[in-house]
Amino acid sequence: MTRWFEDITIDEAFPLGSHTFTEDEIVRFAADYDPQYFHLRDTGAEHSHFGGLIASGWHTVVVGHRKMVDALAAEELRLKGLGEEPGVSGPGAGVNRMDFKAPVRPGDTVSYTLVVSAKRPSNSLPGWGILTNQLSAVNQRGETVYQSELIGFSKLRDFKMPLRLRMLEALTKLPGLGKLLTKSR
Amino acid sequence: MNPITADRRHFEDLALGEEVALGSITVTKEMIISFAREFDPFPFHLDEAAAKRSLLGGLAASGWQTAGLTLRLLTDAFLTRIASAGGLGFSDLKWKRPVMKNDTITGTGRIIELRRSRHHPQWGVLTIELDMRNQKFEPVMSMKLANLIETREPAAAEATP
Repeated sequence: MTRWFEDITIDEAFPLGSHTFTEDEIVRFAADYDPQYFHLRDTGAEHSHFGGLIASGWHTVVVGHRKMVDALAAEELRLKGLGEEPGVSGPGAGVNRMDFKAPVRPGDTVSYTLVVSAKRPSNSLPGWGILTNQLSAVNQRGETVYQSELIGFSKLRDFKMPLRLRMLEALTKLPGLGKLLTKSR
Repeated sequence: MNPITADRRHFEDLALGEEVALGSITVTKEMIISFAREFDPFPFHLDEAAAKRSLLGGLAASGWQTAGLTLRLLTDAFLTRIASAGGLGFSDLKWKRPVMKNDTITGTGRIIELRRSRHHPQWGVLTIELDMRNQKFEPVMSMKLANLIETREPAAAEATP
């Protein structure tokens, strides 16, 4: 979340909202990224064991990501509204696992929930903490659509950069030298 | 018999260790912005000036777009040529380096697991490891993707210990 690393509570569920998948958007995503016959119109989806057209699992995943981005933005606004300074969340580092459990059909509504299950300060990125995020998606019948574990980053509020690193950072800001240092990394 | 997949390669036709060469795709500024608008609207994926100021140092594709384009390359080279019965998910996805505007990505897949489904004799499970590179052959992403595939001879399941 857009909270400081120190303020992130473990095992608290953050609802990220829901999304209803229309046939048009399912087919549009599949045409670009996953053109298999059971994700498209008029290509024989009824012959698959799904018995009809379903959304690409990856489509449900990227919509879940969008929901998380929107929730982060909303949380940032909420904290600013309270007169607090929001934290900074970093880029995603990877996905430990993503298990597709149930297909999403046109008209299905999928609700997304984020739980941070673990956190620790990063060893390799000073000033940042590493989060273990459990992101789950559930349809309108309460069936799990997917369950996943992702790795994210959040900035530390109370981090004091060691002198050695502060000097290095100052050096990288010098014109010319900065480029050289960045290149040699 | 499924008329759509009848002529495609089935579980029995695949081999452990088999490699799949993926095609390539060049990621344009328009593609990056259009994907980010819909799925990943962070300023560093939407705006070149904001991207230059960010850690990434320039306009870069969403990691999810890199993953999506990888899936597209895998679909064209492999998933539409086998009797695929749908994806089971993926694991160990690592974004190793950002894909920048006008980068060309390609890669290879290797089948690292191939087994019959325990409960569904009509299916096998394959796991393919993907190693994606940019035009400088630097690694940009890797992952393991699991997919269901139809078997030709469901009865053979009983013969397998």
